[in-house]
Amino acid sequence: MKQIKQVLGGELRKYTMVIALVALILIFHIASGGKMITPSNFQNLLSGNAYVLILAIGMLMVIVIGQIDLSVGSVSGFCGMVMALTATNLNWPWWAAVLCGLGIGVLIGAWQGFWVAKLGIPGFITTLGGMMIFRGGVIWISKSISVPAPAELKWFGAGYLPEWGPSFTGMNNSTLLLGIIAIAALAFMQLRKHKRTSELKGGNEPLWPVVTRIILGAVVIGYLTWLFGSGRPGTSFPIPGLILVILVIIYHTITQRTRFGRHIYAVGGNKSAAALSGVNVKKTYFLTMLNMSFLAALAGIMFVGRSTAAGPSDGNGWELDAIASVYIGGAAVSGGVGTIMATMVGGMVMAVLNSGLMLMGVGADKTQVIKGLVLLAAVAFDVYNKQPGHVSITKRLFSTKDSAAKEGSPAAKES
Amino acid sequence: MKKRLSMLLAAALMLSLALTGCGNGRDAGTTSDAPETNSTAPVQSQAAEPTGGFEAGATIGVSLPWLGTQNWKEADEMFKTQLEAAGFNVIVQAADNKVPQQQQQIEAMIQNGAKVIVVGPIDGSQLGAVLEEAKAAGIYVIGYDRLLENTTGVDGVVQFGSIKTGELQAQALLDGLKEKKGDGPYNIELFGGGPADPNAPNFFTGAMSVLQPKIDDGTLVVVSGQTDFTQCATIDWDNSKAQARMDSLLSGFYSDKEVHGVLSPNDGIARAIITASEQAGQEIPVVSGLDAENESVEWVWSGRQYSTVAKPTDVLVGKTVEIIKSLQAGNGMPAADVSVNNGKIDVPVYELPPVVVTKDNAKEAFANDPGRLELLK
Repeated sequence: MKQIKQVLGGELRKYTMVIALVALILIFHIASGGKMITPSNFQNLLSGNAYVLILAIGMLMVIVIGQIDLSVGSVSGFCGMVMALTATNLNWPWWAAVLCGLGIGVLIGAWQGFWVAKLGIPGFITTLGGMMIFRGGVIWISKSISVPAPAELKWFGAGYLPEWGPSFTGMNNSTLLLGIIAIAALAFMQLRKHKRTSELKGGNEPLWPVVTRIILGAVVIGYLTWLFGSGRPGTSFPIPGLILVILVIIYHTITQRTRFGRHIYAVGGNKSAAALSGVNVKKTYFLTMLNMSFLAALAGIMFVGRSTAAGPSDGNGWELDAIASVYIGGAAVSGGVGTIMATMVGGMVMAVLNSGLMLMGVGADKTQVIKGLVLLAAVAFDVYNKQPGHVSITKRLFSTKDSAAKEGSPAAKES
Repeated sequence: MKKRLSMLLAAALMLSLALTGCGNGRDAGTTSDAPETNSTAPVQSQAAEPTGGFEAGATIGVSLPWLGTQNWKEADEMFKTQLEAAGFNVIVQAADNKVPQQQQQIEAMIQNGAKVIVVGPIDGSQLGAVLEEAKAAGIYVIGYDRLLENTTGVDGVVQFGSIKTGELQAQALLDGLKEKKGDGPYNIELFGGGPADPNAPNFFTGAMSVLQPKIDDGTLVVVSGQTDFTQCATIDWDNSKAQARMDSLLSGFYSDKEVHGVLSPNDGIARAIITASEQAGQEIPVVSGLDAENESVEWVWSGRQYSTVAKPTDVLVGKTVEIIKSLQAGNGMPAADVSVNNGKIDVPVYELPPVVVTKDNAKEAFANDPGRLELLK
């Protein structure tokens, strides 16, 4: 048990949701008669949910600063519609239309950020206004009629990487290359981290947990590579998934490794203390709101690509899906706590639930009920674990005498 | 920190460059489903594709938009019973009027190995990529009740003639006005359906082709002046939105006038219009309808709603099941009545005739429908 802990890096609580996710996937795989873990279903999981997960990235940051954004669905719909209209009615080339849609997203973000940061209007109210303004806007500019999108955009919303190179690999070589890069990056980062900690601790840090971690990671990535790459010829790791992965890497780095990222957590944890220690609270609010609308625009455009047309009701209710992903991922309602990675896991839990229940032929009505219960259960579980005096279930599973004493203190928190 | 970020970006850039490298990898029968080719293939080549049929117990997927109105609830039950009776393994799902959910449901049906997918779309133009995916997997896609637009992934559409439906609604409105409200001119208002539904503008166009000449010669007066489809449309076919619009029309334009008739695109909206008129103290106007919902059948029978148009769900489902059986036997798609361009290709459309129902002919119209006949008491 102690060895397992060492391999996973000590913070077992982070893995609760991952374990739940894997368990869900396995349960659905069995219950649906082997239809869950297939290349095409995993491709669908990413293509079909990338837009929610992208929204969830922005929403996590908004929730961490202690705000909320209710307008993301409307903003997504509005920007997608602007993109479709400029391309179809004004005959702009598709890339110009996309840039225009994204630009409008940034402008909307600046508008929302202005009200929240400069005038101090609560985000809830600002974005409630935005939700109405931009929903009305979509219907207005589209005259509530769907507008077809340029055909090139389908690549962004539902496309695949090209096939190339030798065929003896038996899978999509683009996907294979991605997998190899991912494994190399993992090994490189783990080894560098190990080198740094052992320098700090005087060279006594054992190497074996690092190696085991790399091997485990390589097995997981390798398996996923095979899964995504071995589908029907012409399919691969989907483009929307690739865009998502790139965004996750960028935003994970921003939130965890940059000054702006630290400011986000500082402002969300304690606004006054952050302001007193020199954090520009207004700027943090402004940039976070701006970023949210930018990501909403991107998500909206990708969805239009997948749908091949922008519709007047695009984006209805998306904000709630994004918020649910963030909370299932363990973010705190009060702000200051939550990570991108956990949010992605939270979003995938919802996605897998959706997909699994559909594969089993469960109707939309019951799916809603089950998703609601899962949200409640996940947050309740998190709250229970955070209360001082309770020992979390995973910790109980893996605990050893010394570590229980060390980690049982209420000060222990993630992020 | 910036350095690391730029390194990541550089890696991403390099990757995308590497991926554009040439070569062709696996032998792909369908490297890409080539949606860009603006195919104008004639209908026959679609309908007469060589098919070997498929096994009798195959899986058939049916994706419906929602179960919020009676016709969809009926379709849900009839598809289940009729396809099961024919020995198929049936998956019927409804998507709660959410486009992303319907896309995922169709993908799940592809996963489940469906041979035919019947789609009653929420928005006929927003399923392009998913339906092309189904097509690439060798699945037959049949549109149900609404046209599937902007996609190459459709083999045929079964629906009631929607222009015809609009014409019937308008004609019933004219007949009703003559019968109930004496001589003209008549004050009327116009309502349209959900703009995302490709049928809704067609209903309206059909109706206007009958009404416009009468508006031009002064027999009919649209008091509000709102005669564009976009002005009259009811988003998502939402009854409460129609009722709110009728309320404001009545208070804005009819404080000293009587409204004689209203063109309504379906029964739910018709009842909303009638309720709003009653609440405003108006005599009940002549109102058209569509779908023959139970509530409206009762209202027609008691004289509150003048007419409805029955698009018998059993006929529509029956025709769809007939096509599925023909595909199963290896006979391909039967010959279509007309072909309609959906923006990408010409789609064979199987058009069924709708039936106007008023109090006078209700008994005959529902002779084969014991459930509705029961309501006529």
